[in-house]
Amino acid sequence: MKYQHKQIAKSKLKSRTIKDKAIRVLVVLLSVVTISPIVLIIFKLIEKGYKQISFDFIMKTPPNSYEAMTALANGELIPGGIANGITGTLLMMVAAAAMAIPVGVVTGIYLYENPGKFMANLTRNISDILQGVPSIVLGLIAYIWVVKGITNGYSALAGSVSLAIMMLPMIVRSTEETLKMIPVTIKEAALALGVPYYKVILKVLIPTGFSGLLTGILLGISRVLGETAPLMLTALGSTIINLDITKPTSAVPLLIWEFYNDPNMVGLIWSSSLLLMAIVLSLNLISKQIAARTK
Amino acid sequence: MKQLVIFMMAVFVLYSCGNKSNKNESGQPASKITLTAAGATFPMPYYNMVFSQYTQTTGTQLTYGGIGSGGGIRSLTDKVIDFGATDAFLDDSAMIKMPAEIVHIPTVLGAVVIAYNLPGVDSLKLSNQLLEDIFMGNVKKWNDPKIKNNNPGLNLPDLAITVVVRSDGSGTTHIFSDYMTKISKAWAEKVGVGKSLQWPVGMGAKGNPGVAGTISQTQGAIGYIGSEYAFAQKIQTAKIQNSAGNYIAPTIASVSAAAQAEIPADTRIMLTNPSAAGAYPISGFTWIILYKEQNYNKRSKDQALATVKFLDWLVSEQAQAEAEKVHYSPLPAGTAEKAKAILRTVTFDGQPLLN
Amino acid sequence: MNSDKITKVILLFSSFIILFVAGGMVFSLVKGAIPAFKTFGAGFVFSNTWNPTQGSENYGALPFIAGTVITSVTALLISLPLSFSASLFLGEYYRGTRMAKVLGTMVDLLAGIPSIVYGLWGFYVLRPFLVELGLPNQGFGVFTASIILAIMIIPYATSLSNEIIMMVPNELKEAAYSLGATKSEVVFNVIVPSARSGIIAGYILSFGRALGETMAVTMLIGNANVIPDGFFSTGNTMASVIANQFGEADGLKLSSLIAIGLLLFLITGVINAVGKFIIKKLN
Repeated sequence: MKYQHKQIAKSKLKSRTIKDKAIRVLVVLLSVVTISPIVLIIFKLIEKGYKQISFDFIMKTPPNSYEAMTALANGELIPGGIANGITGTLLMMVAAAAMAIPVGVVTGIYLYENPGKFMANLTRNISDILQGVPSIVLGLIAYIWVVKGITNGYSALAGSVSLAIMMLPMIVRSTEETLKMIPVTIKEAALALGVPYYKVILKVLIPTGFSGLLTGILLGISRVLGETAPLMLTALGSTIINLDITKPTSAVPLLIWEFYNDPNMVGLIWSSSLLLMAIVLSLNLISKQIAARTK
Repeated sequence: MKQLVIFMMAVFVLYSCGNKSNKNESGQPASKITLTAAGATFPMPYYNMVFSQYTQTTGTQLTYGGIGSGGGIRSLTDKVIDFGATDAFLDDSAMIKMPAEIVHIPTVLGAVVIAYNLPGVDSLKLSNQLLEDIFMGNVKKWNDPKIKNNNPGLNLPDLAITVVVRSDGSGTTHIFSDYMTKISKAWAEKVGVGKSLQWPVGMGAKGNPGVAGTISQTQGAIGYIGSEYAFAQKIQTAKIQNSAGNYIAPTIASVSAAAQAEIPADTRIMLTNPSAAGAYPISGFTWIILYKEQNYNKRSKDQALATVKFLDWLVSEQAQAEAEKVHYSPLPAGTAEKAKAILRTVTFDGQPLLN
Repeated sequence: MNSDKITKVILLFSSFIILFVAGGMVFSLVKGAIPAFKTFGAGFVFSNTWNPTQGSENYGALPFIAGTVITSVTALLISLPLSFSASLFLGEYYRGTRMAKVLGTMVDLLAGIPSIVYGLWGFYVLRPFLVELGLPNQGFGVFTASIILAIMIIPYATSLSNEIIMMVPNELKEAAYSLGATKSEVVFNVIVPSARSGIIAGYILSFGRALGETMAVTMLIGNANVIPDGFFSTGNTMASVIANQFGEADGLKLSSLIAIGLLLFLITGVINAVGKFIIKKLN
């Protein structure tokens, strides 16, 4: 009997081992499939876009349709660049960050300090729900509140507001999670020494959790960098560089959309996307570095 | 970390300062006026070109958002732009709904072409009956006898017809459906005219480029797009039979011929299915709309003056001559005069701005 | 003491801002949607028509709700085996190795690609590829949109599941190994049950993300305002129709689009709430 058990056990072991190896191969295979789109996309962007990237591309504004058409007809590269989009994106990012970071961080601190309270739970839940709102709806809201209500016209401010609302829940959540990972003893030690509450926050909690906070902020920024839909209804776009926040402004994803829509300039979508991707990916990598350094 | 942030801010400031000095190539003092406009995508290649020319010569900055004709009308209703652009003029009932009286300024003529993708099949001729059959789904294949009979000698393949239409509201759709309503009773009953329709058949794509891109990448596809899209992407266009019975290809001349009709003083007229012998039947004006009384919402007189001055330039010979470069047709002389006359009725506090 | 109180007030006030923003949004959406509900009643949600013709306008949300649900569910199903495998790769099989770092970074990069770039890639690369494989409707439709959606939501489920998997205590795993279990047996009999709630939460989160995706879907789904009658037919989603027609809309149509926006807001809210509830229950 024992021998038969051993035989069964052995053959079962074999089949189990085969199964184990097969699953491992499957997992690796599917994982490779999972990341294949990113490789394909980046390759495509580079293949079609690298020729257009130059110093001019970053410094100049786009050509008009006719200039693009003549360049195409002559077999040349389309002249000009996306400077208005870059400055517009930067302008709106700074404004959105100025609005979202203080509110988000402070709210995150509030949630961290009041874990069980009804108000805190309500805020957390609402914040999570807010995160799920599609960006087009946020654009709609910003149109009603800012374009119609505040600036009486399409403006960079409206665009920033929609982006800020998008970033807010992410910053709130990452702030709370970061602070939760700080050992409570540090905070309690400071309080025990009689340090006033606000100083504990400013001089102990925030510096200690700084890299975690920064990661959350950078991720929030990189997430909204590529948003197009809300900006169509708020910032509208612009052919020139504009740094006035009460006026319409361009943005890189908006420019991509405009190029896509213009029959003569459609070739520019690849290089613009490449640049946008490069910025977003760099931000992602930088924030990962920061997060890794603290671990 | 802090140093990095300061460094990046310094770079940003230097960058934008450096770019600011690049902007003003004319040497004129930079005027502080910015004009904001939004609306139709149909004339965008033309507007794109002339707007930047105007900025280079006068320094007045111009922003245009191609959010569609309906968006232009709505933005003007909300008073968040200086002027709007639409391929579909507002009829009387729509004009009453506006907060204040508006005027229409025609700016350029364009053609809606019937584009198709059949390699090796050039100069396809589509009669009105065929247009109805194809776009209402009665004829489903390219080698259908009806198409063959109309195009003897063409090698039509055994391929399904893929109809492509606009999924978003559009002035291009408006012009196309206006023509279809005029030439097809079935269409007038079942579908009608408008910027957005309930299409009997066809798949939707977003914007002119969506439709153009779909057609150019799909063998057997057919759809209606603004002419510049067909030219720029080298998509074949069909010849359409006009009311005089001639098969006309969309060219600058044939589109101009469509505007030979009697244009009313307020220029609100659809140019589809005209009677002129050499006219391309699916042509149309595109308009700019603005408030007749420019003192609203704390607008400054300078802003209003800059607006009408720009529009006056837009309908002048100088700007109109540029239209052909991007395959649009300039306004006929009579229409341009009417446009200028309308501009001179635009007032600020009751006083006309231009004389 | 005083400064402490002020600090606490500031903290509380800050959280009010979020509530204020959210409440204001609901208010604006409801206000904008009222005309549509007044005209069509509650039946708006179940009505199948979308007729923008002037004079006989009739709008209903059902085609878009159907399209949203179908594409999101399909995307979730497609992404499940992929993100699950990736999270196992990162969290267990090759945990801590350089390969895991590379793979993990690449998965994160998937999340970083802007929606419009996905749309462009889908339109110019994926779609012709699918057409060559024989897909009908010129490659537009629910299937193509679902594939792109699946790719877009993979990183969310993967990173969350990955972290949860890594948090499974080593003692549990070692106990199983000492009993002679193979790696895959440990994975499916120890890790997965233990990490179940986190994994499910990750999928619910990614499902919620799929519901609201706009740009990429609108460029690939064919924009037909009807309930899709087949896997490869064209259709439309709530987010896509708003993006498509918002710029043009006014009056009753604008109100109907805002109503759809409100419905989308509510649906995503409910899904997120359900996800959180499940996590609580399983904990």
